[in-house]
Amino acid sequence: MKKLSLVLFIISLGLDVNGQIVPVKRDTTRRLGEVKVDATIKRKIENDMKMAVSVDEFLASSDNISFIKRGAYAWEPLLNNMSTERSTITIDGMHIFGACTDKMDPITSYVESNNLSSIDIKSGQEGNMHGATVAGSIDLKRRSTPFGLPQKIGGAYQTGFEFNNKQTFNLGSLFYSTDNFVADGSIAFRKAGNYYDGNNKEVLHSQYNKLNASLGLAYKTSPLSAVRVDAIFDRAKDVGFPALPMDLWLSRAIITSASYKQLFEQGLVKVWDTKVYFNAVEHYMDDTTRPENLVHMDMPGWSTTYGLVSKINLKKDRYSSEVQLNVYDNLSIAEMRMYPQDRSKQTMFAYSWPWVTTRFASVATNNSWEISERSKVNLGGSLGWNYNYSKYVEFNWIFHPGAPQKKNRWLPGLHASYELNLNQFDISLGTGFGHRAPSVSEAYGYYIYNSFDRYDYIGNPDLKNEISYEANASVGFKTEKLSIAAKVNYFYINNYIIGRILSLGSPMNYQSVGVKGYTSLNKATLFNAAVNVGYKILDNLHWKAMFTYARGKDDEGGNLPFIRPLSYQTSLHYGYKRLGLRTSLNGDFAQTNYSPMYGEDLTGAYKIWNLSADYTFSLGKFKSVFQLGAENLLNEYYSTYADWGNIPRMGRNIFTSLKVNF
Amino acid sequence: MKVSILIKTIVFYAALACVFLGSCTKGKTNYEAERGEVIEENNEFKEVSNVVNSAYTVSIEALNGVLYRGYNDIRVRIKNTQTNTPAEVSGLTFLPVRTTVMGEKNSCPNQYDFDYKSEDKYFSGYTVFTSESGTEGSWALHINFTVGNQTFSLIKEVQVKQQSNKNLNMTMFTGVDEEQYVIALIAPQKPNVAENKLVAGIYKLNRMLDSSGKGPAGQLQLSYSQVERYTLKLDPRMPEPSMGNHSSPNNKDLIQDKDGLYHGVVNYTMTGNWTLNFILLNPEGKVIRGTEVPKDFTPGVEGRKSELHLDILF
Repeated sequence: MKKLSLVLFIISLGLDVNGQIVPVKRDTTRRLGEVKVDATIKRKIENDMKMAVSVDEFLASSDNISFIKRGAYAWEPLLNNMSTERSTITIDGMHIFGACTDKMDPITSYVESNNLSSIDIKSGQEGNMHGATVAGSIDLKRRSTPFGLPQKIGGAYQTGFEFNNKQTFNLGSLFYSTDNFVADGSIAFRKAGNYYDGNNKEVLHSQYNKLNASLGLAYKTSPLSAVRVDAIFDRAKDVGFPALPMDLWLSRAIITSASYKQLFEQGLVKVWDTKVYFNAVEHYMDDTTRPENLVHMDMPGWSTTYGLVSKINLKKDRYSSEVQLNVYDNLSIAEMRMYPQDRSKQTMFAYSWPWVTTRFASVATNNSWEISERSKVNLGGSLGWNYNYSKYVEFNWIFHPGAPQKKNRWLPGLHASYELNLNQFDISLGTGFGHRAPSVSEAYGYYIYNSFDRYDYIGNPDLKNEISYEANASVGFKTEKLSIAAKVNYFYINNYIIGRILSLGSPMNYQSVGVKGYTSLNKATLFNAAVNVGYKILDNLHWKAMFTYARGKDDEGGNLPFIRPLSYQTSLHYGYKRLGLRTSLNGDFAQTNYSPMYGEDLTGAYKIWNLSADYTFSLGKFKSVFQLGAENLLNEYYSTYADWGNIPRMGRNIFTSLKVNF
Repeated sequence: MKVSILIKTIVFYAALACVFLGSCTKGKTNYEAERGEVIEENNEFKEVSNVVNSAYTVSIEALNGVLYRGYNDIRVRIKNTQTNTPAEVSGLTFLPVRTTVMGEKNSCPNQYDFDYKSEDKYFSGYTVFTSESGTEGSWALHINFTVGNQTFSLIKEVQVKQQSNKNLNMTMFTGVDEEQYVIALIAPQKPNVAENKLVAGIYKLNRMLDSSGKGPAGQLQLSYSQVERYTLKLDPRMPEPSMGNHSSPNNKDLIQDKDGLYHGVVNYTMTGNWTLNFILLNPEGKVIRGTEVPKDFTPGVEGRKSELHLDILF
């Protein structure tokens, strides 16, 4: 192994040297990396309040994303109020699977805001380009510097301090760009202590410590083609999860890819982009800092994925299309080892993921025709094949005797929409249908402890595909000063997978109160609505507001868990010369439609008031921005509907940040 | 200047990546190998002892070449000493006899008439040794076999050792009917975290022979018999306090099969210490011995065991 590392090291040295001696030729025929055929809205990594946001904070400003929070770090994003099993989360189309059975490492925790350019969120079946989904897709777009920038070398450095949890962060990025070679890299350190809630009480075990680094090298092989290699390394250490009985000792991820992109000047095909990738995630829990634990337990997890994404973009007159092939192979392993009080005695061992292989392949397409100047039709579909193999299937047989070791599933998906523009109105109507396969935990999980409802969860390899039927509509109205947009969607889901109490067996984890098995509800329904309003009061005074409402019901009319109550965000932005002032108010109403069956209780309403000011100035010849602000200015004590174990959220937090671009 | 910083950064990342690719921080458990450390699986019959005279060589074989307290499968091979070829033996009886320091003789659950396996040319049977050889008593095997119309007898002292594999444990007890019983585990020798077929032999001391068993050795063969149509109710649990009386689903009580042995299913949800809590019912459904154990999950409290139980470990 060491030898291999050394060889790789030398190769990488070689690469760097090559990178340096690449002859710099003036060739300005075309800039690669600027081509954007798909018409998705890319969102800049910054939210209304803060310019130095974490990926989680950024996602939180989207109207169809909510979060399950187990602490201050690694929030699990819920898309359309559905958990991560129902959405596909990818980085530049690459599939990555967390290595923690408790979902403490969502994919969003393995990237950093300074190596991303945007996040592409698609709702429902429109998101099936990257693989079968029900809720939609979240694609984290990595930052990549275009060839031949006028500024050859540049970068940004950002530092800051947040007072509540004594968080310091240092984010740096650099690029080097010539006409046929580009290198970009970023590095980020974040370190935070425990935070304090609205009663100024310290929330123990909420610290974290993260390092993220990324590197990309691209070389233009011809005026219309380029190769690129990318790597992201992420390490989180000593991360507390106050809502869980244990913390994270270490999690590491290496995310690598090599891609080839070819542009075509003539013909139907415009772009062909192919990427092979490999990523490995390791995740180790630690309960030794929790003396209240009766049992010492090791819970390591590993997840390794190899994959291929290949995509072509077609365009002819009023027709444009994308076709994408996805292939991946993932191996998920999670172990638990419990130590008896008398450590000399035999330990107790079991697999919580018994070496589960998932192979997936899909072909997906999305087509749009501009029927007229005012209207457009989109039609898309995907067909996926999902294969699972459980190496130690005998673990699964304990609860499901005779369940097959291998399972093949076919996962079709279809969607259609119609967009119409009538003067100041934008109207769209859409529908979709799609299958998804159960996740590794849902199908093969074994005594996975869920500290929210305090049950041990058992997977069922024989679960049926979840089948979703959806309808969505949106109306937008725009004048020079005012913009209003309303969106609704409705999901009718057959075989909705959820944990139900089993009369069999008894808990294994000592905090647990019982055993739940993943089962399929006959049906479940979900309704999401969001209204966004923007108004330009003055040229430099803008007001924005957003309301969301959701309702989820199971087959007996009961409430589904983790459905966000009525919520709002409103903000005011005032700019004067080099000064910017922002204030915002956000909150949830009381969660009256909670689900006691799934461990929820009534969560009260809360409102948070935030305030910030930024000032742009020149530091020598560098453009710099300084920001000072406060979140939860009134120091409200609150927890949200999705806070694991009702742990209180952060109280008043004063933050400062300085960004220098060079 | 900046370029060199850039290159240094690149090298730094590349080195990081290499170190990462080179190794995982913690090794994965080698599941198969780990279980091998706890339990040595004995699949091979080896010679325990032999008796050689001018005409015949009698070789007694058991798994791993050792006789253990508890259930033992036994093979006996008889060869012509001169030709070293299997002898034409028409029948073989096998009787273990324990002699205590007081001079008392007794036997144990045992197959008296061994079966002949013509294909492999050996005699096959079983014995449940109820104690180990030691200062309190010693075991001897009384073997008779017939060649033509001639009967040969031999007595061979053997060592019975402690069974270190708890999955082949045994227990002796007196039931409410005042009868003495023996329950010996036969399989699985090496359980898995899985559904395991659980096999046990259940035997009863025959009352007509007093336990002092002073009769001639010829009647000791009748000292135990297999019990018929009983039921052995099963409730497996992890006794460790931290496991809070953890149990498993889908277990099946042991009932008698055609082979006379009792077959059931035990599920072990993880490796470690387990207790098989039993209740023995006679054919009328009356409890012979054993008590119901609490079923609730009680973290921090050591699991209560049935008065009839066997502890196993894997």
